[in-house]
Amino acid sequence: MVFAAAVCAAAFLLIQQIQLPANAAVQETEQAPKAPGAKTYLNRCAMCHGAQRQGNPPAVPSLIGVGKRMTDDQITEMIHNGKAAMPPMPDIKGDELKDLLKFLTGEEPEKTPATKEESDATPQPAEGSNHEENSERIEAGNAIFLQNCGFCHGRDAEGGETGPDLTRSKLVMSDTTGDKIAAVVREGRPGNKMPAFNFSSSQMERLVAFVRARSAEVAAHPGGRRGVDVTDLQTGNAEAGKAYFNGAGGCSKCHSPTGDLKGIASRFEGLRLEEQMLYPWNAKSKVTVTLPSGQQVSGTLAYLDEFTVALRDSDGMYRSWLTSRVHYKVDAPQEAHVEQFTKYTDDDIHNLMAYLQTLR
Amino acid sequence: MRDLPIHVEGRDSEMTFSRSPLVFPAALFALIVLAPALRAQDLEDAQLLHPAPDSWPEYHGDYSGERHIHLTQINEQNVSDLSLAWAFQTNQAAEIKSSPLLVDGVIYFTVPDNVWAIDARSGQMIWHYNRPSVGEHIGHRGVAMYKGWLFFTTPDAHLISLNAKDGKMRWDKIIADSKKGYWSTMAPLVVKDHVIAGVGGDLDNLPGFLRAFDPETGETQWQWDATPPAGTPNAPTGGMTWMTGTYDPELNLVYWGTGNPTPVLNGKTRPGDDAYTCSIVAIDPDDGKLKWGFVVSPHDTHDWDAVETPVLVDGEFHGQPRKMVMQTSRNGYFFVLDRTNGKDLLTAPYGPVDWATGIDKLGRPIPNPDKEPMPDGRLIAPAEGGLTNYRAPSFDPKTGLFIVDANPSWSIYFAKPADGAYGWAGADYDLWGKGTIEAIDYQTGKIRWTHEVGEGGSGAGVMTTDSGLTFTGDAYGNMLALDTATGKTLWHVGTGEPMQTSPISYLLDGRQYILTGSGGVLFAWALPEKMVAATHAPAKPH
Repeated sequence: MVFAAAVCAAAFLLIQQIQLPANAAVQETEQAPKAPGAKTYLNRCAMCHGAQRQGNPPAVPSLIGVGKRMTDDQITEMIHNGKAAMPPMPDIKGDELKDLLKFLTGEEPEKTPATKEESDATPQPAEGSNHEENSERIEAGNAIFLQNCGFCHGRDAEGGETGPDLTRSKLVMSDTTGDKIAAVVREGRPGNKMPAFNFSSSQMERLVAFVRARSAEVAAHPGGRRGVDVTDLQTGNAEAGKAYFNGAGGCSKCHSPTGDLKGIASRFEGLRLEEQMLYPWNAKSKVTVTLPSGQQVSGTLAYLDEFTVALRDSDGMYRSWLTSRVHYKVDAPQEAHVEQFTKYTDDDIHNLMAYLQTLR
Repeated sequence: MRDLPIHVEGRDSEMTFSRSPLVFPAALFALIVLAPALRAQDLEDAQLLHPAPDSWPEYHGDYSGERHIHLTQINEQNVSDLSLAWAFQTNQAAEIKSSPLLVDGVIYFTVPDNVWAIDARSGQMIWHYNRPSVGEHIGHRGVAMYKGWLFFTTPDAHLISLNAKDGKMRWDKIIADSKKGYWSTMAPLVVKDHVIAGVGGDLDNLPGFLRAFDPETGETQWQWDATPPAGTPNAPTGGMTWMTGTYDPELNLVYWGTGNPTPVLNGKTRPGDDAYTCSIVAIDPDDGKLKWGFVVSPHDTHDWDAVETPVLVDGEFHGQPRKMVMQTSRNGYFFVLDRTNGKDLLTAPYGPVDWATGIDKLGRPIPNPDKEPMPDGRLIAPAEGGLTNYRAPSFDPKTGLFIVDANPSWSIYFAKPADGAYGWAGADYDLWGKGTIEAIDYQTGKIRWTHEVGEGGSGAGVMTTDSGLTFTGDAYGNMLALDTATGKTLWHVGTGEPMQTSPISYLLDGRQYILTGSGGVLFAWALPEKMVAATHAPAKPH
């Protein structure tokens, strides 16, 4: 069991570097939000922008100080219409919207006791050895990880069957408290095959400890990295990519380098940009439903199976109908990406990638 | 292989009475008292060879793996009246991925670390066995049964024998060393006095194998290795055996699908076909000797285990009577082989595939070297989860349709020297996929109909019936009854979670049940009791 030994050894060596705050996850998640708007933020925004509003740049911008960069109207527009990977949330309105704006543009987030403890490096009140507590926690987390996560993310958290490498995940690396990892584990990533897990606080704490230990261990040993680096995705020819974009690829029918794709390479990079290019995440479809009366209702497609069609209208209202009772027409321009799968050569993809990376 | 005789020798009278218990309760009672041996939870070899309609005594229902049932009580006319008979809550987070067994009125099913015995009439629990373990908890496929004993595999790769009456453990044997990276999720296959169990474990460079255990003592009888030992130069490891095989008693051969080679995405250290990984193999159940093997994905570098059910069909192929084995493989191709010798009769894609340059003389896809994972990525169809996966397909003899839950999909595959040559050895990312039920004409490989089941993919298994129905599920948690001939929806019900099991069916007290699992709940569906009593339509004998 080479790996287990390595992890144990690494865990032991890393204890002083990691400084895992005791009960970090517990404090984060069980702390009742105080400010009005904080609850909405936690439920709707924190999953991507982080509990401390620090974001996950460059893909997810930090919201710290957003009130100095944008007006309330601009933020409202962003919330209601979304942008890039950010989904529109037109249902946040009225007092809830006001409270959220106040929360976002008000004072900076308080430091949690956990981060204070970390920055002050105050010695933790300990029964027995802290070293042992941490290594035990990581080991326990390893077992939980093996049972629940290892199949997809690899037993060493460096990626496996369909699941990405967690040790080089920006979210993991930027998560100083463990709350971001915990949020993803609790909520899952709907639409991206990552299920939600219902762990107890102590289980979550152990799991987070293991993932962070693995991430720290790998970061401490650069070179020989697995996975996909930005430098791996530089084999294409930007000119050829531009020609494909405007010609055979048909990309310019929907997209424009000075419109929707302006600055795309600043918003995404590397693998994330390539994935977004090949099939956009969280792309929303529109639907128009014709009722028996002849009345037409349009909105964002919210649900569709053989039997039920549902939309969110411009007021954010969810409405559904039996498909047997209405006619409906779905407008899903992103499906052009699916048709493209059968047409691309790998060179086309690499060239297109080179071109998109010039759009900074 | 197809026939499920309604009347089993020595059990005729019991069968007749049990179909109409309300009419002859006294007679039934007398039977129980007078013939206690028949009621014991005691599975005989004859019942495995010819399962009675009131049983589902092995993973696939019978040895053929057709998952086609000869019951006709639920049909096109009345399926719209299908309703819930009972539901059983496991109260576990783990999804039910197993195929239940039914023997003597008791259902046995699993999630990792857990076995339940429940009453097939009421859904009430009889006993629950729980054995916490460290190891891979990715899923569990179910138990096997021999006489009064159950056989259960575990995340730490043990084989446990339980008393079917009370769930008490009889013995606990190690199949493989879980510390090395093995686990086991599969339902063993019982053939005569052999309990045949397999393993999973492709996160490390480990050889896959099948091992036969003595059902009484748990002693090892034989072991068949899919690859040379780890460390053999220029040879693969892998070929895990994590799905239940099928059995032809006439040829006395078991048919098994083997998993992908390791290292998974880097094929450089294992040049050539990498036999017998990604293969269908025919093995003598008495001594574990290989009769023949057919590599369905030569030199796989995309994790496309060929463990999907090797379905045994006796019938005509292009005018000639044949004993065939068919597989819709994870690599996107449908194979029809002559199962007496492993010679290919038909190879055809059943959805988008872009990794092969053609089909070789032996009927095997020729892998395109330029579609192996590369440092700058390769677009590949199907995605890593494959065009189908472990959930059962079904063969419908009447229409000659092989019906499978498919997942047309694309992903990008990467591998570079820094990824090494151990375990995964690369990275791959799903881009897009959807679910379809595909009805394949086994004589031509052509798709007769396609039924869309939603974004991402469904994951439900398929079961067909003699009454022309196909039971499966969609990506949103709807259970579906389709018309086998056309693929049209006849009935549906929302179950709250997409089905991850393969449906089973049986006739009990004259009432036909369909069993499915969604999330942590097992559902039994049947026609309303009044309707069953009125029509009183037992299965047609053949």
